[in-house]
Amino acid sequence: MEGAGAGAGFRKVRCCDLPVADAGGLAGCSQELVSRLLHLHFKDDKTKVSGDALQLTAELLKIFVVEAAVRGVRQAQAEDALRVDVEQLEKVLPQLLLDF
Amino acid sequence: MEEEAETQEQQRFSYQQRLKAAVHYTVGCLCEEVALDKEMQFSKQTIAAISELTFRQCENFAKDLETFARHAKRTTINTEDVKLLARRSNSLLKYITDKSEEIAQINLERKAQKKKKSEDGSKNSREPAEAGVVGSEN
Repeated sequence: MEGAGAGAGFRKVRCCDLPVADAGGLAGCSQELVSRLLHLHFKDDKTKVSGDALQLTAELLKIFVVEAAVRGVRQAQAEDALRVDVEQLEKVLPQLLLDF
Repeated sequence: MEEEAETQEQQRFSYQQRLKAAVHYTVGCLCEEVALDKEMQFSKQTIAAISELTFRQCENFAKDLETFARHAKRTTINTEDVKLLARRSNSLLKYITDKSEEIAQINLERKAQKKKKSEDGSKNSREPAEAGVVGSEN
């Protein structure tokens, strides 16, 4: 996987030629990445996403990742584990997917 | 003809791989923040798992959003559709609803600022002065 490249010092951070962060820092995925992710799975070519909806979806995805991470941490803490391994993640996965 | 279909398939596959890599990078950064905050490390496999999860969840989100919009006889997905996505958990729904109002507010203010800027610009068009320069907020 390519690294952040020369863009890391500037506002835009790119990975594999896709912008992953912009001026707001990593406030969730960059809009363009989210847009491309959504359009990848649309069945109809005419489907579009409004700007506000895109920002909101980015926020939702960010919560998904952070929630998965935080629940993993809680599970690891409850088990007195040294770090979050896949075992801990597997235990929190069902409830996570039900909540989303 | 078959070769063309195959290269198209390959292109789509490698495009998907690039997207996955970008997601993986973003997930890694978010997990790093959580790790620092909670003082608990994540194994590489865990981050890879979360990143795979996120990519798959995106597919569900995309298909649902498209379906919601089509159900409302629209081709453009809007914030109401996204709010429907968050319906399964009450606290999530509340958070997303609050966020959507916040986003709408920010965008409204931005539009008002832009409009004001262009109005000032047309007023100052006779004077070549730079007094009308607006500082950017950071």
